[in-house]
Amino acid sequence: MARNKEYGINMDMTPMIDCVFQLMIFFIVTFKLDNDQINEKIELAKSPNGPKIEEKVPGTMIVEVDDRGLLSIGRVPMNEETLFGIVKQAVGRIGNNNVQILLRADRRAKHVYVKRAMDACTRAGVWRIQFAALKKKGG
Amino acid sequence: MARAKGEEPKLDMTPMIDCVFQLLIFFIISLKPEDVIAHLDVNRPQSDAAAPQNQKTDLLQIGVYENGYTLNDRQVSYGSLEKMMARLADVSKTQTVVIKCALESPHRMLVEVLDLCSKLGLKNLSVMSM
Repeated sequence: MARNKEYGINMDMTPMIDCVFQLMIFFIVTFKLDNDQINEKIELAKSPNGPKIEEKVPGTMIVEVDDRGLLSIGRVPMNEETLFGIVKQAVGRIGNNNVQILLRADRRAKHVYVKRAMDACTRAGVWRIQFAALKKKGG
Repeated sequence: MARAKGEEPKLDMTPMIDCVFQLLIFFIISLKPEDVIAHLDVNRPQSDAAAPQNQKTDLLQIGVYENGYTLNDRQVSYGSLEKMMARLADVSKTQTVVIKCALESPHRMLVEVLDLCSKLGLKNLSVMSM
């Protein structure tokens, strides 16, 4: 009786730890991939009263303007003409009412740089633009 | 029987607890709570279409310059802009607010105005550049 109990307890933890390790690596890798889509160097302006983004609307394009005025989408830098082309293509595909532009501009960026991005979108037929702002800082 | 029970805890938990502790510390350090992002919706009128709109009287015009704000062409501080806007927003929430932004002004100041409009419930916002 006593021996039987001893056998039951004597289990090998190695496979479990291996498994947990695999899971951990998997989550770290996927987490990093998700974060690569936005430029973390951009400091957003604060807007404590703005409505918060509930969920991602399909057809949302995130356009970024850094503090020196560099335009980019998904960390790919581009000029106004390329941005215009991309927005125009999206408008052609899903219509200008379904294209949503979320502009992540740095708080220190001069308005002239933000204007460039907005003008490219307006030229392509998108008049409604959302500015991203920091509602609440995490942590 | 009593003896057998005494011998039971043969499994050494120390390495597992060490390992779990390491994992725990790793996750606590690496996990950064995500920022809550707000969206401020504006209209971007086309420059030629915007010109006749300026003639309307029920239009609220805010100017954003690199060193301050104007409300209907009078220079105001942020504090008084907030007070005056609150009074004007009481009259009508659907009035059009035209925000004219100077090219050299930082984006932060435009967002401050948009945040104020959002706080007061003004929905009809247009951003123009000058």
